[in-house]
Amino acid sequence: MIGQLRSELLKQRSTRTTLDLFLSMFALVALAVTLHAVSLSVDQLSTRSRQLEVFQVGSRAGMLFAGLAGVIAITSELRYGTIRPTFLVTPRRSPVLVAKLAVSTLVGLTFGLLAEVLMTTDAAVAFGARGIDNKLNAGDYLQLLAGGAVAAALWAAAGVGVGALIRNQVAALVGLCAWMFLVESTLEGFVPGFGRLMPGGAGLALAGNSGELSAVAGALLLALYTAALSAGGWRVTLCRDVE
Amino acid sequence: MLSCSRLTKRYGDLTAVDGVTFSLEPGTLTAVLGPNGAGKTTTLRMLLGLAEPSAGEALVFGRRYRELEQPIRRIGAVLESTDFHPSRSARDHLLALVLAAELARDRVGEVLEVVELSAAARRPVRTYSLGMRQRLGLATALLGDPELLILDEPANGLDPAGVRWLRTFLQTFAAQGRTVLVSSHLLAEVAQTVDHVLIIDQGRLLARGRLDELTGEGESLEDVYLELTGGEAS
Repeated sequence: MIGQLRSELLKQRSTRTTLDLFLSMFALVALAVTLHAVSLSVDQLSTRSRQLEVFQVGSRAGMLFAGLAGVIAITSELRYGTIRPTFLVTPRRSPVLVAKLAVSTLVGLTFGLLAEVLMTTDAAVAFGARGIDNKLNAGDYLQLLAGGAVAAALWAAAGVGVGALIRNQVAALVGLCAWMFLVESTLEGFVPGFGRLMPGGAGLALAGNSGELSAVAGALLLALYTAALSAGGWRVTLCRDVE
Repeated sequence: MLSCSRLTKRYGDLTAVDGVTFSLEPGTLTAVLGPNGAGKTTTLRMLLGLAEPSAGEALVFGRRYRELEQPIRRIGAVLESTDFHPSRSARDHLLALVLAAELARDRVGEVLEVVELSAAARRPVRTYSLGMRQRLGLATALLGDPELLILDEPANGLDPAGVRWLRTFLQTFAAQGRTVLVSSHLLAEVAQTVDHVLIIDQGRLLARGRLDELTGEGESLEDVYLELTGGEAS
Protein backbone atom coordinates (compact mmCIF):
# COMPACT_ATOMS: atom_id res chain seq x y z
CA MET A 1 0.00 0.00 0.00
CA ILE A 2 2.93 2.36 0.71
CA GLY A 3 4.07 1.76 -2.87
CA GLN A 4 0.63 2.66 -4.21
CA LEU A 5 0.61 5.91 -2.22
CA ARG A 6 4.06 6.87 -3.43
CA SER A 7 3.01 6.05 -6.98
CA GLU A 8 -0.04 8.31 -6.69
CA LEU A 9 2.00 11.13 -5.15
CA LEU A 10 4.46 10.88 -8.03
CA LYS A 11 1.60 11.00 -10.56
CA GLN A 12 0.37 14.21 -8.90
CA ARG A 13 3.83 15.77 -8.91
CA SER A 14 4.98 14.71 -12.35
CA THR A 15 2.57 16.81 -14.41
CA ARG A 16 1.75 20.49 -14.17
CA THR A 17 -1.94 19.87 -13.62
CA THR A 18 -2.02 20.29 -9.83
CA LEU A 19 0.11 23.42 -9.96
CA ASP A 20 -2.09 24.90 -12.69
CA LEU A 21 -5.17 24.21 -10.56
CA PHE A 22 -3.51 25.94 -7.59
CA LEU A 23 -2.72 29.00 -9.67
CA SER A 24 -6.25 29.18 -11.10
CA MET A 25 -7.71 28.93 -7.61
CA PHE A 26 -5.44 31.69 -6.34
CA ALA A 27 -6.41 33.99 -9.18
CA LEU A 28 -10.12 33.30 -8.71
CA VAL A 29 -10.10 33.78 -4.92
CA ALA A 30 -8.01 36.94 -5.10
CA LEU A 31 -10.28 38.44 -7.72
CA ALA A 32 -13.55 37.45 -6.08
CA VAL A 33 -12.64 38.50 -2.55
CA THR A 34 -11.29 41.80 -3.75
CA LEU A 35 -14.42 42.51 -5.80
CA HIS A 36 -16.69 41.64 -2.87
CA ALA A 37 -14.71 43.55 -0.30
CA VAL A 38 -14.37 46.61 -2.48
CA SER A 39 -17.79 46.79 -4.12
CA LEU A 40 -20.05 46.18 -1.12
CA SER A 41 -20.95 49.25 0.87
CA VAL A 42 -19.49 49.83 4.31
CA ASP A 43 -22.93 49.30 5.85
CA GLN A 44 -23.26 45.93 4.21
CA LEU A 45 -19.96 44.86 5.72
CA SER A 46 -20.56 46.12 9.21
CA THR A 47 -21.72 42.92 10.89
CA ARG A 48 -19.83 39.75 11.63
CA SER A 49 -22.33 37.55 9.78
CA ARG A 50 -22.12 39.67 6.61
CA GLN A 51 -18.35 39.56 6.74
CA LEU A 52 -18.44 35.80 7.10
CA GLU A 53 -20.58 35.65 3.98
CA VAL A 54 -17.90 37.52 2.03
CA PHE A 55 -15.52 34.88 3.26
CA GLN A 56 -17.65 32.18 1.61
CA VAL A 57 -15.81 32.80 -1.63
CA GLY A 58 -12.62 31.24 -0.35
CA SER A 59 -14.40 28.23 1.11
CA ARG A 60 -16.30 27.64 -2.10
CA ALA A 61 -13.18 27.99 -4.24
CA GLY A 62 -11.22 25.65 -1.99
CA MET A 63 -13.95 23.00 -2.16
CA LEU A 64 -14.45 23.40 -5.90
CA PHE A 65 -10.79 23.22 -6.88
CA ALA A 66 -10.16 20.35 -4.48
CA GLY A 67 -13.08 18.54 -6.13
CA LEU A 68 -11.64 19.26 -9.56
CA ALA A 69 -8.27 17.85 -8.45
CA GLY A 70 -10.04 14.69 -7.27
CA VAL A 71 -11.91 14.36 -10.56
CA ILE A 72 -8.69 14.79 -12.52
CA ALA A 73 -6.82 12.21 -10.42
CA ILE A 74 -9.02 9.46 -11.82
CA THR A 75 -10.28 10.83 -15.15
CA SER A 76 -6.84 11.73 -16.51
CA GLU A 77 -5.93 8.04 -16.24
CA LEU A 78 -9.07 7.15 -18.18
CA ARG A 79 -8.53 9.93 -20.70
CA TYR A 80 -4.89 9.15 -21.48
CA GLY A 81 -5.21 5.37 -21.11
CA THR A 82 -2.67 5.10 -18.27
CA ILE A 83 -5.43 3.24 -16.40
CA ARG A 84 -4.43 0.18 -18.47
CA PRO A 85 -0.82 -0.08 -17.24
CA THR A 86 -2.04 0.98 -13.78
CA PHE A 87 -4.50 -1.93 -13.62
CA LEU A 88 -2.05 -4.36 -15.23
CA VAL A 89 0.26 -3.68 -12.28
CA THR A 90 -2.57 -3.73 -9.72
CA PRO A 91 -5.32 -5.88 -11.23
CA ARG A 92 -7.38 -5.99 -8.04
CA ARG A 93 -7.93 -2.26 -8.52
CA SER A 94 -9.02 -1.47 -4.94
CA PRO A 95 -5.53 -0.42 -3.76
CA VAL A 96 -5.36 2.02 -6.69
CA LEU A 97 -8.62 3.63 -5.64
CA VAL A 98 -7.70 3.76 -1.95
CA ALA A 99 -4.41 5.47 -2.84
CA LYS A 100 -6.18 7.93 -5.12
CA LEU A 101 -8.70 8.78 -2.37
CA ALA A 102 -5.94 9.22 0.21
CA VAL A 103 -3.66 11.36 -1.96
CA SER A 104 -6.56 13.45 -3.27
CA THR A 105 -7.74 14.06 0.30
CA LEU A 106 -4.28 15.35 1.13
CA VAL A 107 -4.21 17.56 -1.96
CA GLY A 108 -7.72 18.82 -1.15
CA LEU A 109 -6.72 19.64 2.44
CA THR A 110 -3.84 21.74 1.10
CA PHE A 111 -6.09 23.47 -1.45
CA GLY A 112 -8.66 24.31 1.22
CA LEU A 113 -6.10 25.63 3.66
CA LEU A 114 -4.38 27.80 1.07
CA ALA A 115 -7.69 29.15 -0.25
CA GLU A 116 -8.74 30.22 3.26
CA VAL A 117 -5.34 31.75 4.03
CA LEU A 118 -5.42 33.71 0.81
CA MET A 119 -9.00 34.80 1.36
CA THR A 120 -8.57 35.92 4.97
CA THR A 121 -5.39 37.82 4.11
CA ASP A 122 -6.94 39.43 1.08
CA ALA A 123 -10.13 40.39 2.93
CA ALA A 124 -8.22 41.76 5.91
CA VAL A 125 -6.18 43.98 3.62
CA ALA A 126 -9.28 45.18 1.75
CA PHE A 127 -11.19 45.89 4.98
CA GLY A 128 -8.19 47.70 6.42
CA ALA A 129 -7.81 49.85 3.33
CA ARG A 130 -11.45 50.88 3.51
CA GLY A 131 -11.39 51.47 7.25
CA ILE A 132 -13.92 48.70 7.92
CA ASP A 133 -13.76 47.15 11.34
CA ASN A 134 -12.88 43.46 11.07
CA LYS A 135 -15.47 41.73 13.23
CA LEU A 136 -14.08 38.21 13.00
CA ASN A 137 -12.59 36.72 16.16
CA ALA A 138 -9.88 34.10 16.59
CA GLY A 139 -12.45 31.32 16.78
CA ASP A 140 -13.92 32.38 13.44
CA TYR A 141 -10.49 32.29 11.85
CA LEU A 142 -9.71 28.91 13.33
CA GLN A 143 -12.98 27.49 12.02
CA LEU A 144 -12.41 29.01 8.58
CA LEU A 145 -8.95 27.48 8.28
CA ALA A 146 -9.62 24.08 9.83
CA GLY A 147 -13.21 23.70 8.63
CA GLY A 148 -12.43 25.01 5.15
CA ALA A 149 -9.50 22.61 4.84
CA VAL A 150 -11.55 19.61 5.96
CA ALA A 151 -14.45 20.58 3.68
CA ALA A 152 -12.08 20.81 0.70
CA ALA A 153 -10.48 17.48 1.62
CA LEU A 154 -13.91 15.83 1.62
CA TRP A 155 -14.79 17.45 -1.69
CA ALA A 156 -11.55 16.09 -3.19
CA ALA A 157 -12.42 12.54 -2.17
CA ALA A 158 -15.95 13.04 -3.48
CA GLY A 159 -14.39 14.28 -6.74
CA VAL A 160 -12.56 10.96 -7.15
CA GLY A 161 -15.93 9.21 -6.81
CA VAL A 162 -17.63 11.57 -9.26
CA GLY A 163 -14.78 11.09 -11.77
CA ALA A 164 -14.98 7.32 -11.46
CA LEU A 165 -18.74 7.39 -11.98
CA ILE A 166 -18.86 9.86 -14.88
CA ARG A 167 -15.52 8.83 -16.46
CA ASN A 168 -15.58 11.56 -19.11
CA GLN A 169 -13.16 14.21 -17.85
CA VAL A 170 -14.75 17.28 -19.40
CA ALA A 171 -18.27 16.25 -18.38
CA ALA A 172 -17.17 15.59 -14.79
CA LEU A 173 -15.27 18.90 -14.49
CA VAL A 174 -18.11 20.94 -15.98
CA GLY A 175 -20.63 19.05 -13.86
CA LEU A 176 -18.76 19.86 -10.67
CA CYS A 177 -18.48 23.59 -11.51
CA ALA A 178 -22.17 23.73 -12.45
CA TRP A 179 -23.08 21.98 -9.23
CA MET A 180 -21.16 24.46 -7.09
CA PHE A 181 -22.28 27.65 -8.79
CA LEU A 182 -25.64 26.78 -10.33
CA VAL A 183 -27.41 23.66 -9.09
CA GLU A 184 -27.27 24.28 -5.36
CA SER A 185 -28.44 27.89 -5.59
CA THR A 186 -31.20 26.91 -8.03
CA LEU A 187 -32.38 24.18 -5.67
CA GLU A 188 -32.33 26.67 -2.83
CA GLY A 189 -34.46 28.97 -4.96
CA PHE A 190 -37.09 26.29 -5.53
CA VAL A 191 -37.03 24.72 -2.09
CA PRO A 192 -35.75 27.20 0.48
CA GLY A 193 -33.56 25.52 3.07
CA PHE A 194 -32.57 22.72 0.72
CA GLY A 195 -29.34 24.30 -0.54
CA ARG A 196 -27.74 24.29 2.89
CA LEU A 197 -28.18 20.52 3.01
CA MET A 198 -26.28 20.03 -0.26
CA PRO A 199 -22.51 19.24 -0.35
CA GLY A 200 -21.54 22.88 -0.97
CA GLY A 201 -23.87 24.24 1.71
CA ALA A 202 -22.72 21.61 4.19
CA GLY A 203 -19.08 22.58 3.49
CA LEU A 204 -19.86 26.25 4.14
CA ALA A 205 -21.42 25.32 7.48
CA LEU A 206 -18.29 23.35 8.33
CA ALA A 207 -16.10 26.38 7.59
CA GLY A 208 -18.42 28.63 9.62
CA ASN A 209 -19.57 30.68 6.61
CA SER A 210 -23.23 29.96 7.09
CA GLY A 211 -25.17 30.13 10.28
CA GLU A 212 -27.99 27.98 8.95
CA LEU A 213 -26.47 24.67 9.94
CA SER A 214 -24.10 23.74 12.75
CA ALA A 215 -20.53 22.87 11.84
CA VAL A 216 -20.89 19.35 13.18
CA ALA A 217 -24.06 18.75 11.16
CA GLY A 218 -22.32 20.16 8.08
CA ALA A 219 -19.32 17.90 8.62
CA LEU A 220 -21.48 14.80 9.04
CA LEU A 221 -23.61 15.62 6.04
CA LEU A 222 -20.63 16.31 3.78
CA ALA A 223 -18.88 13.15 5.00
CA LEU A 224 -22.01 11.21 4.12
CA TYR A 225 -22.07 12.59 0.54
CA THR A 226 -18.37 11.87 0.16
CA ALA A 227 -18.74 8.32 1.43
CA ALA A 228 -21.67 7.65 -0.92
CA LEU A 229 -19.94 9.09 -3.99
CA SER A 230 -16.60 7.39 -3.38
CA ALA A 231 -18.31 4.08 -2.61
CA GLY A 232 -20.25 4.39 -5.88
CA GLY A 233 -17.09 5.22 -7.82
CA TRP A 234 -15.26 2.37 -6.16
CA ARG A 235 -17.95 -0.12 -7.06
CA VAL A 236 -18.10 0.76 -10.75
CA THR A 237 -14.30 0.85 -10.97
CA LEU A 238 -14.08 -2.70 -9.64
CA CYS A 239 -16.65 -4.24 -11.94
CA ARG A 240 -16.51 -2.22 -15.14
CA ASP A 241 -14.40 -3.38 -18.10
CA VAL A 242 -11.54 -1.15 -19.14
CA GLU A 243 -11.71 -0.31 -22.84
CA MET B 1 1.35 -20.99 -19.24
CA LEU B 2 -1.52 -19.23 -21.00
CA SER B 3 -4.83 -20.76 -21.99
CA CYS B 4 -8.27 -19.76 -23.15
CA SER B 5 -11.14 -22.18 -22.86
CA ARG B 6 -14.36 -21.46 -24.78
CA LEU B 7 -13.64 -17.81 -24.08
CA THR B 8 -16.61 -15.63 -25.00
CA LYS B 9 -17.42 -11.93 -24.78
CA ARG B 10 -20.81 -10.53 -25.68
CA TYR B 11 -21.84 -6.87 -25.86
CA GLY B 12 -25.63 -6.98 -26.08
CA ASP B 13 -26.39 -8.81 -29.33
CA LEU B 14 -22.85 -8.58 -30.60
CA THR B 15 -20.54 -11.49 -29.86
CA ALA B 16 -17.04 -10.03 -30.03
CA VAL B 17 -15.26 -13.24 -29.00
CA ASP B 18 -17.03 -16.53 -29.60
CA GLY B 19 -15.85 -19.69 -27.85
CA VAL B 20 -12.12 -19.24 -28.44
CA THR B 21 -9.92 -22.08 -27.14
CA PHE B 22 -6.14 -22.19 -27.37
CA SER B 23 -3.02 -22.43 -25.24
CA LEU B 24 0.59 -21.34 -25.56
CA GLU B 25 3.69 -23.42 -24.93
CA PRO B 26 6.73 -21.88 -23.21
CA GLY B 27 9.42 -20.58 -25.53
CA THR B 28 7.07 -19.94 -28.44
CA LEU B 29 6.46 -16.75 -30.35
CA THR B 30 2.81 -16.64 -31.40
CA ALA B 31 0.89 -14.10 -33.44
CA VAL B 32 -2.88 -13.54 -33.28
CA LEU B 33 -3.99 -12.50 -36.74
CA GLY B 34 -7.33 -11.20 -37.91
CA PRO B 35 -9.11 -8.27 -39.56
CA ASN B 36 -10.06 -5.15 -37.62
CA GLY B 37 -12.82 -5.94 -35.15
CA ALA B 38 -12.08 -9.68 -35.27
CA GLY B 39 -11.85 -9.89 -31.46
CA LYS B 40 -8.06 -9.96 -31.05
CA THR B 41 -7.79 -7.08 -28.60
CA THR B 42 -10.89 -8.16 -26.67
CA THR B 43 -9.29 -11.60 -26.21
CA LEU B 44 -6.10 -9.99 -24.90
CA ARG B 45 -8.07 -7.71 -22.56
CA MET B 46 -9.83 -10.71 -21.04
CA LEU B 47 -6.51 -12.53 -20.61
CA LEU B 48 -5.16 -9.47 -18.77
CA GLY B 49 -8.07 -8.95 -16.39
CA LEU B 50 -9.19 -5.68 -17.99
CA ALA B 51 -12.44 -7.18 -19.27
CA GLU B 52 -14.61 -9.86 -17.73
CA PRO B 53 -15.49 -12.85 -19.98
CA SER B 54 -19.20 -13.44 -20.61
CA ALA B 55 -18.47 -17.18 -20.64
CA GLY B 56 -15.47 -19.50 -20.62
CA GLU B 57 -12.20 -18.62 -18.98
CA ALA B 58 -8.83 -17.06 -19.68
CA LEU B 59 -5.92 -18.20 -17.53
CA VAL B 60 -2.30 -17.13 -17.25
CA PHE B 61 0.04 -19.38 -15.29
CA GLY B 62 -3.03 -21.40 -14.32
CA ARG B 63 -4.94 -18.54 -12.72
CA ARG B 64 -7.08 -15.60 -13.66
CA TYR B 65 -4.89 -12.53 -14.12
CA ARG B 66 -6.71 -10.66 -11.34
CA GLU B 67 -5.84 -13.43 -8.88
CA LEU B 68 -2.09 -13.34 -9.55
CA GLU B 69 0.24 -11.88 -6.93
CA GLN B 70 2.44 -9.19 -8.52
CA PRO B 71 1.50 -10.18 -12.07
CA ILE B 72 4.01 -7.88 -13.75
CA ARG B 73 6.87 -9.98 -12.38
CA ARG B 74 5.64 -12.74 -14.70
CA ILE B 75 3.64 -11.06 -17.45
CA GLY B 76 4.49 -7.91 -19.35
CA ALA B 77 1.79 -6.45 -21.56
CA VAL B 78 1.03 -3.47 -23.77
CA LEU B 79 -2.43 -2.93 -25.21
CA GLU B 80 -2.16 0.61 -26.60
CA SER B 81 1.01 2.36 -27.63
CA THR B 82 -0.48 5.70 -26.61
CA ASP B 83 -1.11 5.03 -22.91
CA PHE B 84 0.95 7.88 -21.51
CA HIS B 85 0.18 11.22 -19.94
CA PRO B 86 1.55 13.68 -22.53
CA SER B 87 3.22 15.99 -20.05
CA ARG B 88 4.80 13.27 -17.89
CA SER B 89 8.34 12.15 -18.65
CA ALA B 90 9.13 8.57 -19.64
CA ARG B 91 11.14 8.21 -16.45
CA ASP B 92 8.27 9.33 -14.20
CA HIS B 93 5.80 7.16 -16.12
CA LEU B 94 7.92 4.08 -15.47
CA LEU B 95 8.77 5.10 -11.91
CA ALA B 96 5.08 5.44 -10.98
CA LEU B 97 4.54 1.84 -12.08
CA VAL B 98 7.72 0.61 -10.35
CA LEU B 99 6.56 2.20 -7.08
CA ALA B 100 3.09 0.67 -7.35
CA ALA B 101 4.56 -2.76 -8.13
CA GLU B 102 7.23 -2.40 -5.43
CA LEU B 103 10.03 -3.26 -7.84
CA ALA B 104 13.61 -1.97 -7.54
CA ARG B 105 13.95 1.63 -8.79
CA ASP B 106 16.96 0.56 -10.87
CA ARG B 107 14.58 -1.19 -13.24
CA VAL B 108 13.58 2.18 -14.73
CA GLY B 109 17.09 2.90 -16.02
CA GLU B 110 17.60 -0.69 -17.10
CA VAL B 111 14.49 -0.95 -19.28
CA LEU B 112 15.10 2.50 -20.78
CA GLU B 113 18.54 1.22 -21.75
CA VAL B 114 17.04 -1.90 -23.37
CA VAL B 115 14.64 0.11 -25.55
CA GLU B 116 17.29 2.76 -26.25
CA LEU B 117 15.41 5.69 -24.73
CA SER B 118 17.87 6.67 -21.96
CA ALA B 119 18.76 9.95 -23.65
CA ALA B 120 15.09 11.01 -23.93
CA ALA B 121 14.04 9.74 -20.49
CA ARG B 122 13.41 13.16 -18.93
CA ARG B 123 11.47 14.61 -21.84
CA PRO B 124 7.66 14.70 -21.70
CA VAL B 125 6.13 11.93 -23.77
CA ARG B 126 4.30 14.50 -25.92
CA THR B 127 7.64 15.14 -27.66
CA TYR B 128 8.03 11.47 -28.63
CA SER B 129 7.51 9.98 -32.09
CA LEU B 130 5.11 7.05 -32.45
CA GLY B 131 8.08 4.71 -32.72
CA MET B 132 9.52 6.04 -29.45
CA ARG B 133 6.13 5.57 -27.75
CA GLN B 134 6.01 1.98 -28.97
CA ARG B 135 9.42 1.38 -27.42
CA LEU B 136 8.39 3.11 -24.17
CA GLY B 137 5.35 0.83 -24.07
CA LEU B 138 7.65 -2.14 -24.45
CA ALA B 139 9.82 -0.76 -21.64
CA THR B 140 6.69 -0.66 -19.45
CA ALA B 141 6.07 -4.34 -20.20
CA LEU B 142 9.68 -5.26 -19.39
CA LEU B 143 9.76 -3.61 -15.93
CA GLY B 144 9.04 -6.83 -14.03
CA ASP B 145 11.47 -8.93 -16.12
CA PRO B 146 8.54 -11.15 -17.21
CA GLU B 147 8.46 -14.67 -18.61
CA LEU B 148 5.53 -13.85 -20.86
CA LEU B 149 5.05 -10.83 -23.12
CA ILE B 150 1.63 -9.90 -24.54
CA LEU B 151 1.74 -7.09 -27.09
CA ASP B 152 -1.09 -5.61 -29.16
CA GLU B 153 0.16 -4.39 -32.56
CA PRO B 154 3.72 -3.70 -31.40
CA ALA B 155 5.08 -2.94 -34.87
CA ASN B 156 2.60 -0.12 -35.68
CA GLY B 157 4.40 3.11 -36.36
CA LEU B 158 7.89 1.64 -36.37
CA ASP B 159 10.22 2.46 -39.25
CA PRO B 160 12.08 -0.39 -41.01
CA ALA B 161 15.00 -0.19 -38.60
CA GLY B 162 12.54 -0.22 -35.69
CA VAL B 163 10.71 -3.25 -37.08
CA ARG B 164 13.98 -5.16 -37.43
CA TRP B 165 15.00 -4.12 -33.92
CA LEU B 166 11.66 -5.36 -32.54
CA ARG B 167 11.91 -8.65 -34.44
CA THR B 168 15.40 -9.34 -33.11
CA PHE B 169 14.29 -8.36 -29.64
CA LEU B 170 11.28 -10.68 -29.61
CA GLN B 171 13.21 -13.60 -31.11
CA THR B 172 15.97 -13.22 -28.54
CA PHE B 173 13.36 -13.02 -25.79
CA ALA B 174 11.70 -16.27 -26.95
CA ALA B 175 15.06 -17.98 -27.47
CA GLN B 176 15.65 -17.58 -23.71
CA GLY B 177 12.73 -19.94 -23.16
CA ARG B 178 10.31 -17.09 -22.59
CA THR B 179 7.02 -16.71 -24.40
CA VAL B 180 5.54 -14.01 -26.63
CA LEU B 181 2.00 -13.40 -27.83
CA VAL B 182 1.52 -10.53 -30.30
CA SER B 183 -1.45 -9.41 -32.32
CA SER B 184 -0.78 -8.00 -35.74
CA HIS B 185 -2.05 -6.99 -39.18
CA LEU B 186 1.37 -7.06 -40.75
CA LEU B 187 1.43 -10.51 -42.31
CA ALA B 188 4.78 -10.20 -44.07
CA GLU B 189 6.39 -9.06 -40.84
CA VAL B 190 4.68 -11.79 -38.83
CA ALA B 191 5.84 -14.46 -41.31
CA GLN B 192 9.42 -13.42 -40.63
CA THR B 193 9.13 -13.20 -36.86
CA VAL B 194 6.85 -15.77 -35.24
CA ASP B 195 6.73 -19.56 -35.14
CA HIS B 196 3.04 -20.05 -34.27
CA VAL B 197 -0.11 -18.29 -35.47
CA LEU B 198 -3.75 -18.03 -34.41
CA ILE B 199 -6.17 -16.70 -37.01
CA ILE B 200 -9.35 -15.07 -35.67
CA ASP B 201 -12.28 -13.62 -37.59
CA GLN B 202 -15.66 -12.46 -36.31
CA GLY B 203 -14.73 -13.64 -32.85
CA ARG B 204 -14.01 -17.23 -33.88
CA LEU B 205 -10.70 -18.99 -33.94
CA LEU B 206 -10.33 -20.26 -37.52
CA ALA B 207 -6.85 -21.76 -37.42
CA ARG B 208 -4.01 -22.33 -35.03
CA GLY B 209 -0.71 -24.09 -35.27
CA ARG B 210 2.89 -23.88 -36.32
CA LEU B 211 3.51 -21.36 -39.06
CA ASP B 212 5.48 -23.88 -41.16
CA GLU B 213 2.64 -26.41 -40.95
CA LEU B 214 -0.09 -23.92 -41.88
CA THR B 215 1.89 -22.73 -44.85
CA GLY B 216 3.14 -26.22 -45.70
CA GLU B 217 1.94 -26.66 -49.27
CA GLY B 218 3.75 -23.81 -50.90
CA GLU B 219 1.16 -21.31 -49.74
CA SER B 220 2.18 -18.00 -48.19
CA LEU B 221 0.78 -16.87 -44.85
CA GLU B 222 -1.15 -14.24 -46.79
CA ASP B 223 -2.80 -16.94 -48.97
CA VAL B 224 -3.86 -18.93 -45.90
CA TYR B 225 -5.06 -15.84 -44.08
CA LEU B 226 -7.15 -14.46 -46.95
CA GLU B 227 -8.61 -17.86 -47.68
CA LEU B 228 -9.75 -18.26 -44.06
CA THR B 229 -10.99 -14.73 -43.48
CA GLY B 230 -12.96 -14.52 -46.70
CA GLY B 231 -10.35 -12.73 -48.76
CA GLU B 232 -11.90 -9.29 -48.65
CA ALA B 233 -9.74 -6.38 -47.68
CA SER B 234 -10.79 -5.04 -44.30
